[in-house]
Amino acid sequence: MVNLTINGTQVAVEKDATIYDAAKACGIKIPILCHDKKLHPFGGCRMCLVEVEQMKGRLIPACTTPVTEGMIVQTTTDEIVKARKLVLELLLLKHPIDCPVCDAAGDCDLQNLTFEYKVNTNRFVDEKFNHEIDYDNPLIERDMNRCIHCGKCARICDEIVSYGAYTFINRGIEAKMGTEFDGPLNCEFCGSCVSVCPVGALNSRPFKFKARWWALQKTKSVCSYCGTGCQLTLGTKDGKVLTTVYDENQGFHNGQLCTRGRFGYQFVNSAKRLTTPLVKKNGKLQEASWEEALEVVTSRLSAGKSDPASVAALATPRLTNEELFLFEKLFRGTIGTDNIDHSAGYAHAALTKGAKASFGVAASPSEIADIQKSNLLLVVKSDAYETHPVIGFEMNLGVKRKGIDLRIVSDKKGKLTRLPGAKTTVHTPGSEVALFNALCKSIIDQGLAAEGVAGLAELKAAVADATAEKAGVTAEEIAALAKDYAAAEKALIILPIGLGYPGHDAALANAAANLAILTGKIGKEGCGLLIMGEKNNSQGAADLGIYPKSTGLSASAIIEGCGNGNIKTLFVAGENPVVSYPNRQKVEKALENVEFMVVADLFLTETAQLADVVLPACSFAEKSGTFTSLGRRVQMVRKAVPAVGLAKSDFEILNTLSAAIGGARYNNQAEIFTEIASTVPAYQGLTQGKLGDEGVVLPVTVSAKLVPAVAKAVAPVAGKLALLTGSALYHSGTMSRFGEGPMYVCPTAYAELSMADAASLKIAEGDMVTVTSATGSVQVAAKVGKRVPQGTVFAPYHFGEGSVNSITDGAAVTYVTVAKK
Amino acid sequence: MSNAPAEEIPAEEIDLAEANHIIDKYLTLPGNLMPVLQGIQDSYGYVPKPTIDLVAERLNVYPSQIYGVLTFYAQFHLKPRGRYIIRVCVGTACHVQGAERIVETFFGRLGIGHAETTPDLRYTFEKVACLGACGMAPLAMVNDDTYGKMTVQKVDEIVETYNQRPMK
Ligand code: SF4
Ligand code: SF4
Ligand code: SF4
Ligand code: FES
Ligand code: FES
Repeated sequence: MVNLTINGTQVAVEKDATIYDAAKACGIKIPILCHDKKLHPFGGCRMCLVEVEQMKGRLIPACTTPVTEGMIVQTTTDEIVKARKLVLELLLLKHPIDCPVCDAAGDCDLQNLTFEYKVNTNRFVDEKFNHEIDYDNPLIERDMNRCIHCGKCARICDEIVSYGAYTFINRGIEAKMGTEFDGPLNCEFCGSCVSVCPVGALNSRPFKFKARWWALQKTKSVCSYCGTGCQLTLGTKDGKVLTTVYDENQGFHNGQLCTRGRFGYQFVNSAKRLTTPLVKKNGKLQEASWEEALEVVTSRLSAGKSDPASVAALATPRLTNEELFLFEKLFRGTIGTDNIDHSAGYAHAALTKGAKASFGVAASPSEIADIQKSNLLLVVKSDAYETHPVIGFEMNLGVKRKGIDLRIVSDKKGKLTRLPGAKTTVHTPGSEVALFNALCKSIIDQGLAAEGVAGLAELKAAVADATAEKAGVTAEEIAALAKDYAAAEKALIILPIGLGYPGHDAALANAAANLAILTGKIGKEGCGLLIMGEKNNSQGAADLGIYPKSTGLSASAIIEGCGNGNIKTLFVAGENPVVSYPNRQKVEKALENVEFMVVADLFLTETAQLADVVLPACSFAEKSGTFTSLGRRVQMVRKAVPAVGLAKSDFEILNTLSAAIGGARYNNQAEIFTEIASTVPAYQGLTQGKLGDEGVVLPVTVSAKLVPAVAKAVAPVAGKLALLTGSALYHSGTMSRFGEGPMYVCPTAYAELSMADAASLKIAEGDMVTVTSATGSVQVAAKVGKRVPQGTVFAPYHFGEGSVNSITDGAAVTYVTVAKK
Repeated sequence: MSNAPAEEIPAEEIDLAEANHIIDKYLTLPGNLMPVLQGIQDSYGYVPKPTIDLVAERLNVYPSQIYGVLTFYAQFHLKPRGRYIIRVCVGTACHVQGAERIVETFFGRLGIGHAETTPDLRYTFEKVACLGACGMAPLAMVNDDTYGKMTVQKVDEIVETYNQRPMK
């Protein structure tokens, strides 16, 4: 610790603190413009000048100057105030004073400081900037006339996002913040640059002219897209979500969001939202009252009580914990069916079966904070960035700032594989388990296994015939990777799971867990396995038992049952099996066939269109409750706007139905949380009040066990390409299709080919192509890139048109032919 | 400003072999971006866009950053330059001796303005600040040759002379 005096106050701070940090620690505010706690110091704006007794004669920038023992600092002498005024006057020289039409007004550091320092005249005059405004994309407006050259946008895009869209271009008075060839912005559209821009140079276009910043109501909540569980603040007015408000103190991610979180909120107030119940009459869905709709559903469900095996229910892991609890209680408890599931059954198996077998608990033993504490990250599939972008930011930071080693085992390349020092092992599609088995064998063969691991002999036998060859990589690569992993003091394996990744199943979780257990890299900080559930509450769905527990049917068996008539009543809460479950034709046929289907959803999805009753449900912004993120953090979701139209939350819907058929009835969702806390062990003792703004990371007790994993053989088919499905960076499930932001950046389905395959098939970027498998064919636009290796083709699964599930059937890899339409 | 906005960059086919060769030479050297870009500038006479993408890919640098470097240093050019670079000094001494008229005359003869290149790639014209030979004001240079005490007639002679010179 270093001791110093600031404005007469004694303060002791860490030795790597700056004067700015020290002042902040004792509650003294030094004005800043170019400084940001998340970024490397820049020291460009001179707003933070202070006086240091020991460095008399000049003013010192507080944001870049480290503290030294005995320093005596003054932060607001007359001279300092004069200097800061000068800085502001110079900035205002070329900066247009268009605050009345600037979206940043009220939230603009320059405006606020000008006010605070009472700069009401300017001793200088000069022409204003005359840069053209970039309106080329519908998400981010770039008005470089308002830019004060703080460099924050370029630094965040490089240091945290690792995209590098911006740089200072030209020099002298022509210098400006620009892009490559001074062209329009064409990037990931995460909006990080917009959020840190201290002025109105970078704006969110969807929010343009919607409301004055100070007139917004701000509600803290949690993003409802992926399992990362980023906290966000919704800016609302007149009952509508108008924007997401950046708060640098929110969450582990300091307010950073990805494009879905930042710009994907429009689905809440989308014109396509369902606003009234629909009941099928004369073969057509028609508007109905809640009473009418619920009566039909109630009578079906009551009848189901006498034949529970004929009732099945699917829920989306986007619901709150309280809703999932009630869902489970209604179907498993009151009605008595075990035919309950989510995410097609396979997309949660890595947690519910895999982690359960390996660790004794259906959860990741590691948490998000372990990423920064690790020495080596072993990521399964480069897609981890696309599925969980803000975890991607964490990895960027760890690798670039802390020098954490990054190893990737993947069937294709991607943004992650280009991080400094990243080493990627590209394996044959579908051979992940084989690859981990080969790593385990190599650990054993090289004598790197930790001492006294139980079950070693069994595992040794099980992986005896594992070879690098089975994963299509060299023995040297495997040996080197095994060695690096074992040698790292702390190593963390990161495994994304979801509907796009049928191969990321229980066996893969076991295989990956084996590697961690074998080398003793479990149960310690910075170690273990982080299983990244796809949806905002995937972990909650596992915790609350939304999967068949004994003889019940899994999601795929439920679909099967709908097809063969065994299931007569199907309740679907927010799932969209028609687009997201494998084998679309089969799913459609089954759902057309089932006697009675009720769908509660925000939109008239492809699945809802087949229902007998459709109930309009609420989005996360219209209700309160909790989500549990992939790091086992339980966080509060808070109601920010009233329900759209006549929509009701799934809590209200399930609560009414439950009461109507003689089940439990709750006064409010919070009551359910109390019950969760007393019945679900991990949630023991929690209350919603205790969650606060930070949320609470659930404790986990791991009893690690080696569980041999069987690698399914994948046999490449001569003359065919291996189709890999997955997530596009901009989407999450099928809900992001109703957000304007994600839909602008990535509006349609596509198939991504390698340059070599594209050349030999004579396919160019943008061509319409037909992708054909044994089960069918789809037509999509072609993308040609460097990400996918020759012999493979990648297609995201989110889209209804050209939906890739028309040609997949749940196998890890589907072999297809691709031809120009 | 001597750099062209994107749409003016000719979309010609570029042979990347030479650029790859230059990158190979410096690949493992720390701080290799500047020498690589200088090598490309020397060898192609300018830095063609495809070479920027190539350098970005192979050195794992953002294209935007390369563009930032290229626009910061006057030594780099983003569009092809003429075989003959005509520079006319407009520094103080030359200015008072009527440099503007010389400049205007060149503009008229060549049909191009400041920092522009003739379509046949024979000439690039640039106004520059003091060339350090104020005694000979007004001053013009063509590549490394200096022409002092410039007059409007001399402009004609210079253009005549270099019209006859070979392009290679
Ligand atoms: S939106 Fe994100 S990727 Fe695009 S320039 Fe801004 S920070 Fe970079
Ligand atoms: S655009 Fe904003 S963040 Fe970027 S340099 Fe200008 S003022 Fe700073
Ligand atoms: S989609 Fe995921 S990574 Fe993106 S903001 Fe939401 S929770 Fe965070
Ligand atoms: S905030 Fe310290 S120099 Fe800009
Ligand atoms: S002013 Fe022209 S050479 Fe000095």
